[in-house]
Amino acid sequence: MITVDTRLVAEQLRPAHEVMSLERLGSLHASRLSFVRSLIRQMVRERWQISRTRFDLDEGGHGVAIYRLTTPNQCYHCVVFSRALAPEARSDRVIAEAWDVTFAMVEGEVEESLLQHMAANVPLQEAGRQHPRVLVLSRANKSLRNFEQFVGALANGRQPDPAWLTAVGYLYRTTAVYGNGKFGIADFARLRANPDFCRPFSAQMAAVYLLRHFSIEQVNFLARQQAPDSAVPLAPDLQRYLGIGNSTGLGMAPFLINHPQLIEQWVHSREQALAYARIQPVSDGDRARLLELLERACRHLEQTKTEDLDQSTRNRATVDSVNQVIDWLRQTPPHPELWQRLIRWAQATCSLEAQELVNTLLIELYPTLIDTLEDELGCIETMELQPDMRVERLQALIESHFDWALKYDEQSADDNYWFWYRSVEKEEPRLGVRASEQGADRELAVAIGPRICRCYHLLRDFTATHPRALVVEFLLAHPRQKECVRRIQTMAGTAYGEIRANLWHRSMKPMHLLRTKLSFFGASRFDPKSDRWVRVTLFQGAPLVSDLGDPAQTAEALDDWSFPLEPSRERHERSGPERRS
Amino acid sequence: MKVSFNELQGLCRKAFAGLGFDDGDAVDAADMVAWMDAHGLYGLLALKNSLDYLLNEGHQPPSVIYQDADVSVLDAHGHTILGNANLAVELGYAKARARGLSVTKIRHCHNRILIIGYLSRIARRNMNVTAFWRNAHTPLTEQVVGFRAGHEEPELCAYTVDQVPDDVEPNDGITLIMASHVDLLPGLRSGVPLTDLIQQSEHSLAALMNHSLHDGIEVSDALWEQLKVLASRLLVESSDASRQEAGAAGTDND
Repeated sequence: MITVDTRLVAEQLRPAHEVMSLERLGSLHASRLSFVRSLIRQMVRERWQISRTRFDLDEGGHGVAIYRLTTPNQCYHCVVFSRALAPEARSDRVIAEAWDVTFAMVEGEVEESLLQHMAANVPLQEAGRQHPRVLVLSRANKSLRNFEQFVGALANGRQPDPAWLTAVGYLYRTTAVYGNGKFGIADFARLRANPDFCRPFSAQMAAVYLLRHFSIEQVNFLARQQAPDSAVPLAPDLQRYLGIGNSTGLGMAPFLINHPQLIEQWVHSREQALAYARIQPVSDGDRARLLELLERACRHLEQTKTEDLDQSTRNRATVDSVNQVIDWLRQTPPHPELWQRLIRWAQATCSLEAQELVNTLLIELYPTLIDTLEDELGCIETMELQPDMRVERLQALIESHFDWALKYDEQSADDNYWFWYRSVEKEEPRLGVRASEQGADRELAVAIGPRICRCYHLLRDFTATHPRALVVEFLLAHPRQKECVRRIQTMAGTAYGEIRANLWHRSMKPMHLLRTKLSFFGASRFDPKSDRWVRVTLFQGAPLVSDLGDPAQTAEALDDWSFPLEPSRERHERSGPERRS
Repeated sequence: MKVSFNELQGLCRKAFAGLGFDDGDAVDAADMVAWMDAHGLYGLLALKNSLDYLLNEGHQPPSVIYQDADVSVLDAHGHTILGNANLAVELGYAKARARGLSVTKIRHCHNRILIIGYLSRIARRNMNVTAFWRNAHTPLTEQVVGFRAGHEEPELCAYTVDQVPDDVEPNDGITLIMASHVDLLPGLRSGVPLTDLIQQSEHSLAALMNHSLHDGIEVSDALWEQLKVLASRLLVESSDASRQEAGAAGTDND
């Protein structure tokens, strides 16, 4: 029986200065608390059902498909519009205006009038006005090479080479997945009381999962169209190994900064999970299971392909470190406090990515304790002013909780190197060099550190002459500080909401911000395309629609899909062509 | 056209920033307008009617004319309540926290009805609050709004005053009463008939909010476009070089 000593757990939480450094956050991996993992567990636990209600595609795979998602509470539909797209029009950026598929998930039934409205607006994405029953709006582009390879192989009665999916783990990659009221769709506030999608981003992840299912059905359909007599369907282990890509850029950064209370929930839950895990007495079985997970994760990283030199170096360093961890664990005799020792040893020996991988896998060992934390990942975000606080107290709060922000130097060129802005082109977030580029007068307030530092200097001067004054009196003298003060007062009561970095600094790496958010989504196969643009894969290895209600499979087995490995090609070749079902 | 609550709040925030509001004021003003409109209290109409003023008026915090431990009187210099006049509300809140009850008078401000959106925040912080003001136009009307501490929605009423007093003071102020422990809901005098009485209960306002979340919020195309134009003031023009700054790859075919 696993027990939790909450006081001990609190003592084991890692300090914020360690956890919230940008470099460490940029080294996180997807964990069992990631949103895709939580969603799949919920789907399995509650026996969600997915059925196809319409599949009107032409010989090119273009047309409309509709999937019905039934939960114990109600039904939803995902409507997919597939169209021909010239290769030169295929752009993953927000400034694109056409995509291979556009899709939306709606609450309830899709009546003919709603379908007509969706057909007129969903393909337009940001340029359309969406129906308030739409919960998620998204679009995706094809991986052309995978599509051609897959359709060609299946049409010829062969399974495609799994290595294609190791190189690019999807047939489609999304380029934006919109929720929470964007372009007229439903507000997240409406979902708060909905047990199906009350967790952050769970509706978005469900829509992406349904696109994955569509991509499998579409590729099988196209192979049959091409060669009705010889085509075989994609083998189940390759279907499982097929995820959905996501291509993303700087747009993730403002979200992380603008939602510190949500980030606090995400990071705190993960840290609590790690604290639970590290104090568990370690059995031989736990040790063996961790070794098994480490070996799989190591192999997964060896199989992860990227052309990005920096990420390749990081992956190799992680693999080297994890191999050392495996050796250390094999040689270290069992001990009740083995996990504490392992964490200390890894911290002194391993790369940051490897340290966080060990942490991620320790969390994996204790589902009974840790899975309840997934209900704590959301919160109602409200920043509240405390106008009756004394200015001396506010100054002390900054000094004790935001000391990291006070390192900013107004005069340092490096400290002020970048500025963040939105372009007139579909408000795409961009990063400019302050000293040489236009637009710093319209910059986004993303760099919280320098703002807190500036506020502190004004406050210190005010406090020197008005030591007994209230915060509201300081704000009447310096009204521009209201938002900053509200944030300081709100976030001082939390540990992990603020990313402790100056986002203007010349050495700041935006990729770390992207990876932070994507790791909580549950992304794998990080494949940077530049220092501020990355492709990742979601749901690779996840159970299939047909697995969800399969009584032959246990919930534990269906949950064990992190760090998926390339299926064996020999297995398919030995078994010969599969028959069409 | 129909828009979502979050979308309205987001665009208003950008539009107010485009108008030159500081970050905190833009956030608060957008919250006030969206909260009001989602509760059926015509936040967008109030915004539309005041946009011409907002385009031209400067930004200045209210000045404290008088204050003691319980009472404060501030001058908003004829500016909108959407600006940092909410600091006057915060001053009243601070005094009520210290003394149990406070009275705050904000003189010379417009868009007063929108203050209801900000008072919902004060109530959320466990403070009872009532606001009272008279409209400047004829017929003379009084508006009273009261939030119970901890409640999301207020009770409000508006009515016409039949007997206009011989009063030369302009009706451009608002009075706030806050109390930590006592309900301050607008109970009407029994037996006194009121003309053009409009009353809204907490329950009916909550139902309107719920309806907005489900069916969206109606906004005129023209106002939406106007807000978008204001929001675009903070966007930076694009160039070949700046397109590279998003960091995307040269080709997206793989």
